[in-house]
Amino acid sequence: MNFRKVVSIFTAKLAIKVLRILKRGGTTLPGKLAFKVWPGILKSIACNFEIIMVTGTNGKTTTTRIIEEILKNNSVDYITNKSGANLLSGITTIFIQAVTLTGSPRHKVALIESDEAAFNQVTKHLRPKAVVVTNFFRDQLDRYGELYSTLNAVKSGLDRLSGSTALILNADDSMCASLGRETEKQVLYYGMAPDTDTGGKSGAGDINTDAMFCINCKSKYEYTNRVYGHLGGFYCTNCGYGRPAANLECTGIREAGSSFTTIDWVNKPPLSADSQQHVTRINLPGLYNVYNAMAAATCGLALGYGTQSVTDALQSFECGFGRMESITVGDKTIKLILVKNPTGFNQVLSFLTLDNQQLNAAFLINDNLADGTDISWLWDVDFEQLNDSPHKIGNLFASGIRGEDMAVRLKYSGLDTNKIRIIKDYQLLLERGLEQTPAGGCFHILPTYTAMLDIRGILKKKYNLKEFWK
Amino acid sequence: MYDLNICHLYPDLLNTYGDRGNILALQKRAQWHSIDTLVTNVTIGDSFDSSLYDIIFLGGGQDYEQEIIQSDVLNQKGTEIKAAIEGMKVFLCICGGYQLMGKYYKTWDGKEIEFLGALDLWTVGGKERMIGNIVFESDIIKAGDNPVRIVGFENHSGRTYLGQGIKPLGRVISGNGNNGEDGFEGAVYKNVYCSYSHGSLLPKNPLLTDHLLSLALKQKYPDFEALGVLDDTFEDAARSSVMQRILKTP
Repeated sequence: MNFRKVVSIFTAKLAIKVLRILKRGGTTLPGKLAFKVWPGILKSIACNFEIIMVTGTNGKTTTTRIIEEILKNNSVDYITNKSGANLLSGITTIFIQAVTLTGSPRHKVALIESDEAAFNQVTKHLRPKAVVVTNFFRDQLDRYGELYSTLNAVKSGLDRLSGSTALILNADDSMCASLGRETEKQVLYYGMAPDTDTGGKSGAGDINTDAMFCINCKSKYEYTNRVYGHLGGFYCTNCGYGRPAANLECTGIREAGSSFTTIDWVNKPPLSADSQQHVTRINLPGLYNVYNAMAAATCGLALGYGTQSVTDALQSFECGFGRMESITVGDKTIKLILVKNPTGFNQVLSFLTLDNQQLNAAFLINDNLADGTDISWLWDVDFEQLNDSPHKIGNLFASGIRGEDMAVRLKYSGLDTNKIRIIKDYQLLLERGLEQTPAGGCFHILPTYTAMLDIRGILKKKYNLKEFWK
Repeated sequence: MYDLNICHLYPDLLNTYGDRGNILALQKRAQWHSIDTLVTNVTIGDSFDSSLYDIIFLGGGQDYEQEIIQSDVLNQKGTEIKAAIEGMKVFLCICGGYQLMGKYYKTWDGKEIEFLGALDLWTVGGKERMIGNIVFESDIIKAGDNPVRIVGFENHSGRTYLGQGIKPLGRVISGNGNNGEDGFEGAVYKNVYCSYSHGSLLPKNPLLTDHLLSLALKQKYPDFEALGVLDDTFEDAARSSVMQRILKTP
């Protein structure tokens, strides 16, 4: 009987209770306290769980939620963390909640989303059965530093893990795929089949793309096909490094809508005895969500869950919490879509203009710590693509702490300034936005993280928005 | 009808902090002033003939990418860049591009990396990054007779020091600037303008953008007098909202 272990768990559990009574949903403090009492706490209680981890720049939350759906479909007894609690202390709190006072697990599986910068630290304590790495894109350089530091930190974290951990990696991301080289772990790749028509170009990347130069030899990559950003069929003509063959591939985009994507996909050994073809309507729009779906499906199949439970999850999955969350207001709809970095933002803009409807949208840009204090990334977002169909552009609103900067960005994209308005008050913004959205239309709200929390709070009060996976 | 040729040097490598916004600002404002522009991307291995361009832009990169361009900029394009600078060509160099114009970069553990040496300035690496919004006042760019306050965002660990004959672009009001010590931000030499400020620098500081466009037009067209006035409502609002927050003044 480890006395400090019990005290550590007790202290943290007490803190959770007190915070709950005070109606403060703090997820950080209990974990911190537990560590203070005994630094060995997380390692000691987590080792009795079967752990699945998800990390990477974009798509962590969505991928985690789809895997959760797969677990649900298989009636698995699991715990999981909220995306706001994806650092070491938040993850510790989740485990504390899931054990008894003596540290015995009350659930079987732990599905853990981990911030990519915290991953290296977290793997000092966790022994995951599977790790999904979604991708690496430039993101909040003021917080994460340079892209290669993030990649190296994740690599160090993975190096700590034993050969029994399965790695699920994005084959189309030269940085992510590089994690699968020279490892004794089982590696499973997912990606877009090179002959899939995704509307991308071939040849070298656009000038503003991340990771254009070979991670081994610094020569410029060539691409057989490009999906978006630096994702695609990359290869280096100098050293021969290139996209690895994928075990699960999207082989066709049948239909891409502004709220769903229907894809052909195939899983190959060792994910199944033979190749299996599927057609699935993913309940989310955008190519980036095709990647999230593939990542989750690969993870599900790798862990031995049935194909049907995986396809069901892709079809029925609803993410919520600011990620394509819909609210019906009379005959209009409000859609909340979180934006965090250029790549994600570009993806959202490109599916918003897929429909024939007029685009009415508000961009809510904050520069708090959790958003990134540097908003220069807005200049890496391709707002210029909105000029491709100027007749579709309705009213655009700029809001959030840096709403004025957002308005400047829209102005310099060449859009008609009469269509751009700065409204900083969220109540007024919702009123005006809905007012000017035609009947049957959709008012899109694209907030950064903390702006999403704020506007979601208002929407919750106003329209009884339900709380997601609390 | 005037036209300007803009050269974006190493756009695929020095592009980390939304630097593309500076090019967009030069292009758009020129367009609104009824000036035609053509932007040419010149990168590693490309030939560089400065006489083809009126404004040359260099942004900042991550260490990985800056290492890649090192030899190209020193051995292939260096002589041409230096000659263009002495010939009064207009340059805008941000962050890593700014450091690159100097003599060397000394890492915090004492390794000295040779840079272009086009400007008498040098950079010493620090362990702590200087990150945050920055406001500085420049008496080189004026609104009427008044010095202009420029806002941006800095994120650098290098500390840059100016030698003889190099003027700072401005005096720091809030933030770190060149080195966090002497209160200076940026550098000006002939028609070369350097700054640590991204965010991007030009879109939110239209007077600086117009200043660079005017310099280039004066070089190219002896009859050029001055640019007209544009509606800068959004730009002014963006600049003053940052200043209000940072300087806590109304």
